[in-house]
Amino acid sequence: MPATTENNHNQGSFLGRISIRRNQVMSMSMDGSHDTECEEMELFQRHVAERFAELLSCTDEPEAFMSIGWLRKLLDEFLCCEAEFKAVLLMGRDPFQIAKPPLDKLLPELLDRIIKSLDVCNAVSLGIDSLRNIQRLAEIVLSALDQTLIGDGQVRRAKKALSALLSAMLHEDKDGGITKGTERSRSFGRRGNKDKDRSAAAPFRSLSWTMPKNWSAAKQIHAMSSNLAAPRGNESSGLALPVFIMNTVLVFVLWTLVAALPCQERNGLGTHFQMPRNLSWAQPITALQERISEEWKKKEKKGTVGLLEEMQKMEKIAQWLLDFADSFQFPAEADKLEEVKAQVEELADICRKMEEGLEPLQLQIREVFHRVVRTRTEFLHVLDQAAKLNIPAS
Amino acid sequence: MDDHKSEDQHLVAAAQHILKALAASKAVSDDLRKTLLDFDIHLSAMSIVERSIKQLERKIKFAEGKIMTWKAKNSMIWDCGSKESSEYLEAVSEIQAAVHNLQSLNEHDKELLGRANGILQVAMAKLEEELVHILVKHKQYLEPESFANEAGSVDLVNPALIPDLKSIANVMFGSKYHQEFCQTFISSRRDALDEFFVVLEIERFSNENVMKMEGNCLNREIKKWIRAVKIVFQVYLVAEKRLCKQILGDFNDSVYQFCFAEITLSFVLKLLNFGEAVAMGNRSPEKLFCFLDIYEVLENLAVYVDILFFEEFGSFVRDEFHKLLNKFGEASKFTFLAFKNAIANDPSKARFPGGGVHHLTKYVMNFIKTLAEYGEALNLLLADETPADPEGNDDDDSHPLAGEFWSVAATLESNLISKSKLYKDVALQHVFMMNNIHYMVQKAKSSELSLVFGDRWLRRHVAKFRDNARSYERVTWGPILSILKQENAELNCTSSKENLKKKCKDFNASFSETYRSQTGWYIPDTELREDVQISISQKVAHAYRQFTGRYSSTIDEKWKKHTVDDIENYVLDLFVGSPKSLHYFSSSAQILKRDKSV
Repeated sequence: MPATTENNHNQGSFLGRISIRRNQVMSMSMDGSHDTECEEMELFQRHVAERFAELLSCTDEPEAFMSIGWLRKLLDEFLCCEAEFKAVLLMGRDPFQIAKPPLDKLLPELLDRIIKSLDVCNAVSLGIDSLRNIQRLAEIVLSALDQTLIGDGQVRRAKKALSALLSAMLHEDKDGGITKGTERSRSFGRRGNKDKDRSAAAPFRSLSWTMPKNWSAAKQIHAMSSNLAAPRGNESSGLALPVFIMNTVLVFVLWTLVAALPCQERNGLGTHFQMPRNLSWAQPITALQERISEEWKKKEKKGTVGLLEEMQKMEKIAQWLLDFADSFQFPAEADKLEEVKAQVEELADICRKMEEGLEPLQLQIREVFHRVVRTRTEFLHVLDQAAKLNIPAS
Repeated sequence: MDDHKSEDQHLVAAAQHILKALAASKAVSDDLRKTLLDFDIHLSAMSIVERSIKQLERKIKFAEGKIMTWKAKNSMIWDCGSKESSEYLEAVSEIQAAVHNLQSLNEHDKELLGRANGILQVAMAKLEEELVHILVKHKQYLEPESFANEAGSVDLVNPALIPDLKSIANVMFGSKYHQEFCQTFISSRRDALDEFFVVLEIERFSNENVMKMEGNCLNREIKKWIRAVKIVFQVYLVAEKRLCKQILGDFNDSVYQFCFAEITLSFVLKLLNFGEAVAMGNRSPEKLFCFLDIYEVLENLAVYVDILFFEEFGSFVRDEFHKLLNKFGEASKFTFLAFKNAIANDPSKARFPGGGVHHLTKYVMNFIKTLAEYGEALNLLLADETPADPEGNDDDDSHPLAGEFWSVAATLESNLISKSKLYKDVALQHVFMMNNIHYMVQKAKSSELSLVFGDRWLRRHVAKFRDNARSYERVTWGPILSILKQENAELNCTSSKENLKKKCKDFNASFSETYRSQTGWYIPDTELREDVQISISQKVAHAYRQFTGRYSSTIDEKWKKHTVDDIENYVLDLFVGSPKSLHYFSSSAQILKRDKSV
């Protein structure tokens, strides 16, 4: 049960990349700050494209598309992009350049998106809590069925956990914090009311959502993605471009997280983004986005939600096992038991991945949270400096 | 049952007796003897197993009866008294033991084992229900106010029920159903914590919402939050951990630690998230007090957090807590700096009418007066950054915050000097500085601030405003006094009468002009005003008396417009802030111009 904590493995990779990039830039052009700037921006675009292309090509374990491992990689890449973005915009730059048009409008928009993204981070983090709950239920199933002798007792035990598990998976989004009231026995008086005690299934229900009542992940993503327009004409070669790239990456990453992990009110998650077609750096992201949208639409029609690969797999296994449990008669046939064993092994594998990966994922999301907050503070500080320098001496 | 048992036993015993007798008989060959003895051993073993299995079967059946009876009922075992519950637990123990024994026997009676497992599962499911029931029914609700007083002695669940909960835990763990126990326990305790949040009136806000909150609304929520944070960490969570340990302490330590972490982690993070949102808000100087409030609270709670979450399970929470504490430290430092910058950059565009105490001065002094109450927190934050005092006020006995506060005062002074330069009249510049520094000194003398500023600073600044007073006098009254002064050489001058007439005229004009402009000036502090007035009065009235007295024979009464008493009285009109004028000139020539120095 105790989870092992992993150290944040981000630091090595992106810091390494940053220093390499800086050295490259420095060695390439020693004169002409404008050239350097162009170089930096070119590099930034190329790196973004490369990073997301890598994500696109991930098909194998342990970083299969939309698995926990893949999401962790996604966040890793995001943190790299974010660090590079900050370097491009802030390092060695006069505050004025950040404060003048078109950045005077674009930057505050980005900072505003950052605030919105924080709520998404929190919601998704809560979603991981509910995944952990599902993991524990799956582990009970394992305890019950990972035996040589499977009798009525084990099957009933597994069935109880399986029902709760499937219920948690299917109802997590819809019920959220709304039907909580009827299920729970809130006894505010001195003594609990015996009649309102919950049924045996109740302890396994999904954890309560704790985002504000009317908060919706779908709406939040939608709000973040509106007004996201590619810079045109003159602006497309200036600093407006990296800002646009960062905005796009931010929205895409959060949208992906919401699609993958349970979080409050995902119904109606938009699947259509106005992605720039002609920009090279955007192509891998566009491809990823299309693929995820496809999957999302399929799942939404079927009535199940949540694209996390482990959850998808677990749902199938759980359903199979539940069918097995429903039709179980002691003693079971040998070949049936073989099948059960195979399913259980797969389930154990998923649980192991979750045990190893969920907590680091949660830590990463928290890291993203802190980083973008810090970025926002830094930008505000720079903008503040620029504003002060504009005030005539008193 | 006993008959059956003894029947079997007798049969086997009889058979064995016969076997032994046969084996002992000399009529039997060695081989046959060996076979017979082997058979005897087999019988013994078999009968043990059979006896065991039969025994187990009987036990299982007996326990099954109890367990199945309760399955059919709708009511709760633990509501029916301790006899029922202990009997039930005994039954479960029997089944548990039976399962264990059956598994260790070589001959697996699969059916019996299956049956036993089945019964065990039923019992476990029932115990789960019972667990929930007990936890909910015997939850203890305490008002947050009483929490504050009973730190450490709070029981979240009726202590009388702890032994029962422990028994259930032991039985479920013993049956390898510990996962169900923990899941149920954690879930129930999370509910309780959730409800407590409602009692504390902690609402769920999105980051966006918090950042949009302003003024009173934000302050109200922060106050609630501070109260909640204190109660949660100092009382509730301590009690929760103790509860976990009481119930699960018999097992490996990691068990109760794990449960505690699972129960509390996400709630604590939610609580901290509000703090994160507040820390991100704008950093205007007014926010400084709220940041410091939060910083102080978090600083005090850090030790509780470190103890509650010192295991690995809780390291995440500990880290987040300390990150938040640092954020508020940073925010406080930053805002304090912003405050200083705001003073330095306060625009000086319009002349402050009357030369009185500027609102910037009042704002700053009142601000730092409140700030002094946060002495401890500020100490921690600003310890490394105290600037060296250019005026050399510091010494070893200085208050730790002295440097910062002197720095603030110096910044204020600097800005005030810029403001004073807006006045064309140098005398008014001095009056302005005198007023403001005097105000600063008065405030600095008050209880909290005097300790910070120290005697030396006070003395220096008293000297400053007195200097300004003297400078004012010199600038305004110097020339006037010199009119009244008579050089010895001129005593016998033949033009002395004309000279005197001129002198009178000049004096009257100057005095009148001064009166006109400086009655509109303002010294708010009555004592200070009186001091200045008295000083002026003494010098001017004295000089005037001397002048008019010495030359009384020469001076025409017409030239004199005032008596000495008049002068003294007029001086009392100065600095009151209501402009007056002396109307003794013929009207046509004296359309009084606007006072340029105001």
